[in-house]
Amino acid sequence: MKRSYVGVISLCLVLFLDIVFMQLLIHQYFFENYLVTLIFMAGNILLFPIAFLIYKKEKDKGAESHAKK
Amino acid sequence: MAGRNNNNPFDQDNYTHNIDRNNERSLDRRGFMKTLVGAAGVFAVASLPWGTLAAKELMGLSDKEYPHKKIVDVKNLPVGESLEFHFPSEHDSAVLIRLEENKYVAYQNACTHLRCPVYWVKEEREMVCPCHHGKFDVQTGAPTAGPPRRPLPEVIVEVKDEAVYAVRVKRYEA
Repeated sequence: MKRSYVGVISLCLVLFLDIVFMQLLIHQYFFENYLVTLIFMAGNILLFPIAFLIYKKEKDKGAESHAKK
Repeated sequence: MAGRNNNNPFDQDNYTHNIDRNNERSLDRRGFMKTLVGAAGVFAVASLPWGTLAAKELMGLSDKEYPHKKIVDVKNLPVGESLEFHFPSEHDSAVLIRLEENKYVAYQNACTHLRCPVYWVKEEREMVCPCHHGKFDVQTGAPTAGPPRRPLPEVIVEVKDEAVYAVRVKRYEA
């Protein structure tokens, strides 16, 4: 069985960005840079559909080779 | 679903299909990716309240100006004396201090420790909370001694037509 780890790795990257954005968002909120806070919130929200699309695209990768076995 | 029987495994179209009873505790690649997408969703939802608060701040809802309130006539408050008043509501007691001829400071005088009233002690030129001997700097409202750790909220005052008016409450700054 051959596996594709592209999805796993890119989703890990998305999650890492999520964590970074969240941290910066909270810091910028307490530094009272509210516009920057809003930008990070938009980034965090945009990352969710991106993650979902990556999942949709990648979930069946490797299945063909599985079927041929 | 044509083709369902032609593919093995067939295209997944529900959320329970990938549970393998004999192996249900092992996390496969697809399940792991699903978890990551779920985590991304949690992050997206969790950033909403912060953004809402930030938007609220940007629209200036928290820094609103209360209707100006006359505290006292200038001639009735000698230099070095203080006066208690209430601002912005009847339940927020505050103290106005005339430091110099033309310098007035005012603070909401609920101690930031346990909300005892803070008094102006003229002889020591300090604001003192009698409950636990907390002291505050009169120039800035910053705590200088005792248990309180946060400054008193400052009330911005304005002198107009020989009277002192309370204008608004300064935001708490960390």
